[in-house]
Amino acid sequence: MIDGDLTTRDLARLKSTAELMAREWAPCRNGCPVHADVRAYLQCIAEGDWRAAIDVIREQLPFAAVCGRVCHHPCEDNCRRQDVDERVAIRELKRFVAETQGATGCTVNKPKKQDKARVAVIGAGPAGLSAALELAKLGYRPTVFEKASVAGGIPATTIPRYRLPLEVVRIDVDWICAHGVEIVTGVEIGKGKTIARLRGDGFEAVVIATGLASSRSLPIPNADHKDVHLVLDFLQAVSAGEAPNVGQNVLVIGGGNVAMDAARSAVRLGAKTVRAMCLENEEEMPAWSWEQEEARDEGVEFIHRRGPVEIIVKDGKIVGMKARRVTRVFNEQKKFDPQYDDSDVIDVACDTVIFAIGQMADLGFIEGGELAAERGRLTYTAATHETSVAGVFACGEIVTPPGSVVEACASGRRCAKAVDQFLSGKSIQIDDSTPPVIDTIPEATAEKVLKVDRVTVPTDAAEKRKTNFEQFEHTLDEAAVLREARRCMGCGGGAEVIVDKCAACLTCLRVCPFDIPVVTDVARIESDKCQACGICIAECPANAIVPRSRAVDELVRRTAAALAKTPKGKKIIAYIGGFRCTADEWMGRSEPIPGVAELYHASTSRLGVPELLHALEAGADGVVVVSCPDGTDRYPTTATRTKKRVEQARELLGEIGLSPEKVQLAETADKGRDAVREAIREAVVKITEE
Amino acid sequence: MIVAERKPMDEILEMLAPYKKVLVLACGSCVTVCLTGGEKQAEELASMLNLAARAKGLDLHADFDCITRQCDREFIENLTKQPADYDAVLSIACGVGVGFMSELFPDTPFLPGLNTTFYGANVADGVWAEYCHGCGDCVLAWTGGICPIARCSKSLLNGSCGGTNQGKCEVDPDMDCAWLKIYQRLESLGQLDNLRKLRPPKDWSKDRGKGVRRLTHKELSELES
Ligand SMILES: Cc1cc2nc3c(=O)[nH]c(=O)nc-3n(C[C@H](O)[C@H](O)[C@H](O)COP(=O)(O)OP(=O)(O)OC[C@H]3O[C@@H](n4cnc5c(N)ncnc54)[C@H](O)[C@@H]3O)c2cc1C
Ligand code: SF4
Ligand code: SF4
Ligand code: SF4
Repeated sequence: MIDGDLTTRDLARLKSTAELMAREWAPCRNGCPVHADVRAYLQCIAEGDWRAAIDVIREQLPFAAVCGRVCHHPCEDNCRRQDVDERVAIRELKRFVAETQGATGCTVNKPKKQDKARVAVIGAGPAGLSAALELAKLGYRPTVFEKASVAGGIPATTIPRYRLPLEVVRIDVDWICAHGVEIVTGVEIGKGKTIARLRGDGFEAVVIATGLASSRSLPIPNADHKDVHLVLDFLQAVSAGEAPNVGQNVLVIGGGNVAMDAARSAVRLGAKTVRAMCLENEEEMPAWSWEQEEARDEGVEFIHRRGPVEIIVKDGKIVGMKARRVTRVFNEQKKFDPQYDDSDVIDVACDTVIFAIGQMADLGFIEGGELAAERGRLTYTAATHETSVAGVFACGEIVTPPGSVVEACASGRRCAKAVDQFLSGKSIQIDDSTPPVIDTIPEATAEKVLKVDRVTVPTDAAEKRKTNFEQFEHTLDEAAVLREARRCMGCGGGAEVIVDKCAACLTCLRVCPFDIPVVTDVARIESDKCQACGICIAECPANAIVPRSRAVDELVRRTAAALAKTPKGKKIIAYIGGFRCTADEWMGRSEPIPGVAELYHASTSRLGVPELLHALEAGADGVVVVSCPDGTDRYPTTATRTKKRVEQARELLGEIGLSPEKVQLAETADKGRDAVREAIREAVVKITEE
Repeated sequence: MIVAERKPMDEILEMLAPYKKVLVLACGSCVTVCLTGGEKQAEELASMLNLAARAKGLDLHADFDCITRQCDREFIENLTKQPADYDAVLSIACGVGVGFMSELFPDTPFLPGLNTTFYGANVADGVWAEYCHGCGDCVLAWTGGICPIARCSKSLLNGSCGGTNQGKCEVDPDMDCAWLKIYQRLESLGQLDNLRKLRPPKDWSKDRGKGVRRLTHKELSELES
């Protein structure tokens, strides 16, 4: 990629200026463990193109539908919009497109030939399936062995259904399988079929992605009582619809997200009292703040800074838990190192205990093989995913610290690269470098950005949701989706100066509504400030500014394509600022106006005089520009600029003896379909009358 | 900086009448800055020519290109389209560019798309005004920095004429009288004495009187010769 100043010569080497996006990443993309191109898919969503959006997402993220429900969304946490008003609700947008499109509404890039080596993958969780998918895309023949009866790993078997319905997991699994990934369920490697045997069966490489399959317990008295549940078994039984007995008074041990799932599931199973007891205080608790809050709303109570000592059993029944006070959880080095005050012990009444204090690897698959393990963890090299046995690789939570679905996907994808290099006879070297990240938005710029409230997700009240395992957060409707996606500022997609073309004329500095360009030797536009409105691009007399996020001639090409499709007769091009338009309008599904090709774009701010003339040159009999009035467009001054450009184009036409009426302006793009239609129709009358 | 305006389209079309394939060539310097001769204007002009040709049934097609300066020979290397491939080039550089390019491309007619109007400064967004005439013998030292040659309609050297009227010029009532401005400026500088001195007739041979003017920097020109 080009470093530093952009020159004409650099540009000549690019297929499209869109490649300039690789110069810097928005922090949302950088924060996402698989580096999904958030800005790009949000732009597709903003344009109502769900299909394009899900394809962009799935390019990097196989578990798109699952993550649309349960991702802890580091993208959102990094979103630059938080310095303007609030973060963009990226996860909810992903959920909408992933579930609207389902497994069949996204592109499957299965290579024509899948004749490379067979690879066995153990475990059909996010990591294993991601690795298998990448291998299939590279032409390998992966087979995934899964001990459970369903594929999908923890998301399919364990995450409570009220957060993640099984149908949603199936979307991702089905789409992955469509790439030629074979999944065999109900087969536990280690029992009967060993890794050694797999290799004998013709698998040239093995990927271990078995996750953390066992729950941790505590060696305290009565921990083996029948009314003590281990969290994974408990949640898996709940998800399988087995409704395990939780009694009346449940004590969940643990303060993480998994403990919250257990507690909230216990509430839904009908327990009268559910308490979660943990070592940490409220601030130290590892569970996401929203998980804690939702649990509290559902009636879960918290006991902080208490550690279990003994489960008290009377007449064969659990009656309580002895718990001692915790004086600290972390030491000075911030390492987990709890200290207790044994003189302060209380009895917490309960009849059921659920241990949710962490998961660990089940190394059963090692049986009978040569794989090495240390202190309960598989021996492995993080850089290359190699285990102690050549040709056997590992990824996901079996080897990484416990994390999230998206991190497991990232690990699986990376592992596939290692396997590919290994099977291609290369030494394993994976380049994890990423482009620099664009900085936070300066306050002076943030102030000028149009404020739009973040969407609120429709959620069932606690009283309603706590009686069942139905989803309680609902998918956004289309209008909310469009509005939310259009809050994305398209960070890093702004203007770049071609330094050898700039004449330092100062026009960009004068027209930018955000006061971004400065002219030193030549114009300088800082990417952390530029809002990508394109006003300077349309005005620069030297054509010295290009957009990063789209091709320079994008509009010209779209226009030519649209004209080619319009039937013979008078052909009119309508350029519409689409900030307030519906998906049907953008996607050309609304009732057409005869003879008119409607082209939507983010804002008419980007539409220059040359484009208006080029449309006529390309064969249009007239051009209608439909802009949003100032204050309703996403960028300031758009309406004023648009009006001036239309006036200029009309003057130029007059000069060559053509009717200025060929170019018409309507400022109704914010008024809904009927108003837009009406305005275009009126404009067409004026154009055809001349 | 040199300021220029686009010629009227009728005149341009008439100039181009004998030609079929035309290159509109922009200049990336002064005329880009004054928004008349930049690549974007070349792009627009080429479009206008193509639209006019279609409307009037002319056999004319225009493309466009731009180089950094049309007054230096090295930049022609950066042309992406070759003048030789065209029947004529419509240059939208100042007259210097048109003339110089004509010398460099003796086989291709270079036609002016602009009228080169003056040496000026940007006085407000989108507005340029004349400040210097290029007379070859600068007087600004004693006129308070205001040029009587460029800004007085009659290029007077010894104060205003009788046509000065409430600070405006008799030639154009919208135009300031340069001599009133000079007076006011000198007054504020405390240099009104400058006006007591009678200025002898100006040596106009330094203007255009002795034909083509030339600048030679010996230290460089000798190296090259
Ligand atoms: C209760 C709970 C809630 C969670 N909630 C979230 C959340 O909201 N958001 C989020 O991002 N993450 C969440 N996580 C974490 C997330 O589920 C994991 O990070 C992720 O699933 C790890 O993926 P993996 O592929 O490494 O392992 P897993 O998902 O555990 O998949 C491993 C698979 O291997 C199979 N397997 C194991 N041993 C064998 C064997 N010997 N032979 C064959 N198959 C075998 C297992 O059955 C399993 O299907 C949660 C985890 C838990 C436990
Ligand atoms: S505004 Fe959009 S591009 Fe910018 S960080 Fe947020 S999601 Fe990413
Ligand atoms: S408008 Fe164009 S030529 Fe003028 S200073 Fe900006 S980038 Fe340079
Ligand atoms: S005018 Fe728009 S595109 Fe240009 S620098 Fe300003 S914000 Fe960026």
